[in-house]
Amino acid sequence: MKSLVVGISDCKVSNDLDSTLVTYALGSCIAVVLYDPATKVGGLLHYMLPESALDTQKAQQNPFMFADTGIRALLQAVTASGAHPKRMVVRLAGGAAVLDTEGVFQIGKRNYLAARKILWKAGVLISAEAVGGDVSRTIRLDLATGRMWIREAGAIEKELMQHHSPRKAVEGV
Amino acid sequence: MPEQLQPAPRTDEVAGFGAVVVRVAAQVLETMFFEEAVASACEHAWLPTAVTVHVSFEGSHRGEFLLSVSPDTARTVAAGFLGLEPEELTGTQASEVILELANILCGALMSTLWPESALSLETPELAIAEHAFLGGMHCCFTLPDGMVAVSIGVSSGDGSSGDGSA
Amino acid sequence: MPISVMIVDDSAVMRGFIRRVLTLAGFEVSECLEASNGEEALAGLEGHSVDVILTDINMPKMNGEELLRRLERDARLRSVPTLVISTDATKARILKMLSLGAQGYITKPFSPEALREELERVLGEKNA
Repeated sequence: MKSLVVGISDCKVSNDLDSTLVTYALGSCIAVVLYDPATKVGGLLHYMLPESALDTQKAQQNPFMFADTGIRALLQAVTASGAHPKRMVVRLAGGAAVLDTEGVFQIGKRNYLAARKILWKAGVLISAEAVGGDVSRTIRLDLATGRMWIREAGAIEKELMQHHSPRKAVEGV
Repeated sequence: MPEQLQPAPRTDEVAGFGAVVVRVAAQVLETMFFEEAVASACEHAWLPTAVTVHVSFEGSHRGEFLLSVSPDTARTVAAGFLGLEPEELTGTQASEVILELANILCGALMSTLWPESALSLETPELAIAEHAFLGGMHCCFTLPDGMVAVSIGVSSGDGSSGDGSA
Repeated sequence: MPISVMIVDDSAVMRGFIRRVLTLAGFEVSECLEASNGEEALAGLEGHSVDVILTDINMPKMNGEELLRRLERDARLRSVPTLVISTDATKARILKMLSLGAQGYITKPFSPEALREELERVLGEKNA
């Protein structure tokens, strides 16, 4: 089983059934995890800040640093790899209230709200989330099954169950 | 036109009004409009250009609720709710969304301030900002793109029955 | 399975929000009827069958409570599941609407995901 590690301000998309997408130390950052159960395409974005307007130059160098440019890029990449929006299972993790390098407690909540707003605009509903609190999280997505696990600092790994399954009506899509 | 209202007599019932408003507004705005509300000091220079909505309520309490939102914030909030970019808003979409925001925020505040009460809300209406500052219970808070002001004036709360619908 | 829906709310933008959730949640909506009060809803339901009715409470002309009473009295419409969507979060109101026959009650503000869950529950119970 290969680990495809996604760093901070990073994003990876894959349909390799022998791999898991992993990202570590989600504090105030948000991970957006997408998976299409039909094509087994998965994507994981780990972003730091809510809005690219905060620093357009940095956003051009690395769109994955920000929610708006990052989620747009992630959606484009998974779609190009064969994922269909109506089938995609979307999960969020992170957005904790930890003291980050800027000393700003609220950035976690802002990052979380940014993800919800952008996904709503993009026409995508969220199936499950593990957000908030004050603990750092590590997550992994198994590309063969679409199952996702979360480990919070100081706790054992737990599966993040979907609250919702993609509707049968779109199986033919 | 809002009637002349006395300042709310029973301030002990609504101690910490500002804190309650920000908490309830934050929950409303985050859940359905994807915006973050943060407590701030009052400042009213922006009111003349604000989108202002007035909601009357009656039942066990009778009074008026006023919500004012600065123009840029109104567009951001409306765009978030509709799933659009602010530049994509057309015509009266921003004010229609703020009317519904006022309806939801007023209802949520009533349920929080007076949870055992029977209240009905009138249809929200756009109002003019000159009449926005009612006195009574009032606070301002900020959203990322600007300011919001909330005022509630209670004209009676003598336990008189509402419209009998509850 | 395609579903037919009636949305009753005096706010056009709220009806639009609900419509959007229905679409994004993957419901195959074959027909989406809309009304801005209870009176319009009853008129729209004449000669139409729907799988679920979503209704606000505070509306002019005929409010949600009266609409539920009329639906309960109608032999054809009384079996249609109703989901109440309202700003009123007081216990008294919720109990009242459930006692009038509502299958579900969701308070505004609600997230798109919360509405999806409640819809699935109400429609799932109908199909059970």
